[in-house]
Amino acid sequence: MSSSKRASTMPAAPKPPTSLSSTLVIADNAALTGTHLITLGSNTVVHPRTKLSSAFAPIKIGSSCIISERSAIGLQSAPAEDEKDGVVFENGVIVEVGAVVEAKRIGEGSVIEVNAKIGKGVVIGKHCKIGSMCEVADGEVIPDFTVIYSNGLRRIDASGIENLKLKMVGRQVDVLRKLIPTNLAKFQ
Amino acid sequence: MASFTPYTYFQCPCTDTLIASLPFGAEAPPPESENDEDERTFDPRAPRANYSLYPLEHLLYCEDCHQIRCPRCVLDEIVTWYCPNCLFEVPSSTVKSEGNRCTRSCFQCPICISPLSVSSVEAPPEGLGAEYTSQSGPYVLNCSFCNWSSKEIGIVLEKPNSVFQQLSKIRNKGQPAANAKEARKDSVARTLDISTQVIMEEGGDEDAEEVVLNPETQFANLKSFYLTQLAETSPTGALGFTGDYGYGSPGALSRIMGLYTGVSFSDKKSKSKTGTMREACDALEGFQASRPSSEKAISRLRKEGWHSTASAEQMAEQTHDAQFVSELWPVANMLRMKRSKRCKTCRHILSKPESKISTTKFRIRLVALNYIPSISIKPLQPPSSSNPAGLLTPLNPTQFVLTFKNPLFDGVKVSIATPASTPGRFSSRVTVLCPQFEVGANTDVWDEALREEGGRGGDREKRRTKAEASEGQHQAEAGKVWERGRNWVSVVVEVVPTSLRIEGPAFLRSEAQQKDDGPLREDEDVLEIPVFVRVEWETVAQDESAGLAAKEKEVKEKRELAYWCVLGIGRIAQT
Ligand SMILES: [Zn+2]
Ligand SMILES: [Zn+2]
Ligand SMILES: [Zn+2]
Ligand SMILES: [Zn+2]
Repeated sequence: MSSSKRASTMPAAPKPPTSLSSTLVIADNAALTGTHLITLGSNTVVHPRTKLSSAFAPIKIGSSCIISERSAIGLQSAPAEDEKDGVVFENGVIVEVGAVVEAKRIGEGSVIEVNAKIGKGVVIGKHCKIGSMCEVADGEVIPDFTVIYSNGLRRIDASGIENLKLKMVGRQVDVLRKLIPTNLAKFQ
Repeated sequence: MASFTPYTYFQCPCTDTLIASLPFGAEAPPPESENDEDERTFDPRAPRANYSLYPLEHLLYCEDCHQIRCPRCVLDEIVTWYCPNCLFEVPSSTVKSEGNRCTRSCFQCPICISPLSVSSVEAPPEGLGAEYTSQSGPYVLNCSFCNWSSKEIGIVLEKPNSVFQQLSKIRNKGQPAANAKEARKDSVARTLDISTQVIMEEGGDEDAEEVVLNPETQFANLKSFYLTQLAETSPTGALGFTGDYGYGSPGALSRIMGLYTGVSFSDKKSKSKTGTMREACDALEGFQASRPSSEKAISRLRKEGWHSTASAEQMAEQTHDAQFVSELWPVANMLRMKRSKRCKTCRHILSKPESKISTTKFRIRLVALNYIPSISIKPLQPPSSSNPAGLLTPLNPTQFVLTFKNPLFDGVKVSIATPASTPGRFSSRVTVLCPQFEVGANTDVWDEALREEGGRGGDREKRRTKAEASEGQHQAEAGKVWERGRNWVSVVVEVVPTSLRIEGPAFLRSEAQQKDDGPLREDEDVLEIPVFVRVEWETVAQDESAGLAAKEKEVKEKRELAYWCVLGIGRIAQT
């Protein structure tokens, strides 16, 4: 508690360059740090206390994504040659509470569940689900529709309801828009 | 190495009186000639000991026999069956006819066993008044953990409730599921009926060996076949039950056991009457040749790869054969039951849960924890920083504090005895410094506090603490209690751990080591002390027949309880 108070009295750290959509919902105490460009797409929701760090490489997040509390997006160390593009989220990606994502790319409609860890240079396909507490090692390529669950078990989801799920993400964004007061100006 | 937690296990005395629990008609075992019970030292490492040692929490106590009761010497009775998912009580008649699975809508994921939920395939209605319109089908079963959906195996449901019926309908391709009750009603007619249906389904295929029964039909066929077999081979069962009823009767069961083990369980008279039973030999009777991995399966495996095959755990959950993931079906939740326990000797109820499913309370629960003193173990010297795991140094005398806590409302006299050296290949020396002591009654906590105020009963305590203060360091003395409280007493036991190495000339070794000088086995480094505990106390007699007069006089009754315990003290360091 005290440390956060002290931080607020300090002169604010230089803001990272941002490119924010006008329909973005971003909570007042989300933390955007770093020196590279952070791009957030339309209808995306950034919860309070989310940490987006572009200290080592840019972050580009598509539209209708939900980034939950205490999750950390962005590289935590200097990138390798092929990771210079930073972290890219396609549309409709959900990152749940406490997840750490350093991935190169996360495909459309994928869900990163509570406290999951996605290593550097990982490429996750479309409509994947990385279960809570699961880890994806650096450099792995996860094909579309993969579900990682339990202690790292994997399967391919063939239920074919991905469009329905994307629709539900849209609805979730609508609800969150009403719940989270946005402060776009602070980050521009 | 993980740190060692000291433990205490209690031996149920029923292991000494095996004769009482032998089945009827069995011969009594030869009397033990070697040595008397009193002289025998209990060996916690003996293979048999595995089955008689329990933590105190697992034991019950019979108030009528005044004896410890373990899972081996109680009888279980089923109070209710219920589904753990929907918490619905299932009547026993339904369990008998429908089986031990929930027949409502409770299913577990065939992939990861987490519960499945029913959800609509269609997007929920949107727009004005959406919350008033109900969701419409079709529905699928969904796993929220691994994202499995019944759509993957082509199962779509019409309505969100009674999933069990819908699924069995889908599985039996439109026919209602074979009902075991109906099958029993007139088994022969039904068998014929099913077989014609099956043949028709197969497109009039005359070759009976090609008929593939679905699991339910196969089970029904097999069951009716064996029921008729039973009825035919034994017009009257061993105990006078006939056909249908005799299936689950003790006579029939013992005969089935006899068939498979070749040992006569029933008496000779009925054995001579029993004809030979044959096995099912065609689909009509429920016989299905197991399909060896066919060309089809192999080519499929080649095409779809290892990931398309079901794991052993997944197959074990299924009620039918499944080789591939796509053949796995949702598994109906297994029913659970509440059980009451009776003393095997006097048939009194020792534990009886509330029959209502949603309550976890017990009506009767006589747990041993409330009757016999618990024993906890603590090292006298706290583990030093040089030895954080608390390993016992060989040949270095180490002292432990045993605390006996009395749950009874009467004071008890406790005597404990240990063998001078622990049994086994590596025997350590054990000395109990105070083998006899009295433990106070488990009175109200406030009683003690009030006594302290008055300064009368608290004397002893105070003196002790004073003595401690003056001496500075407390020394364990032989014949003296280490510490004493309201309803607990601590005594010190000293152990001299043995070396875990077998060395030196053979004549210096112990007998056990001479016989076996192999390497150290698993957990052989754990120092376990067998302790014989005898508890004596006096209590007000609970004899109801004595009536009022006795109550007034408060007849005191002597009680005694004796049993073996095992104290797991610690691991001996391997040097
Ligand atoms: Zn027992
Ligand atoms: Zn149920
Ligand atoms: Zn599942
Ligand atoms: Zn009894």
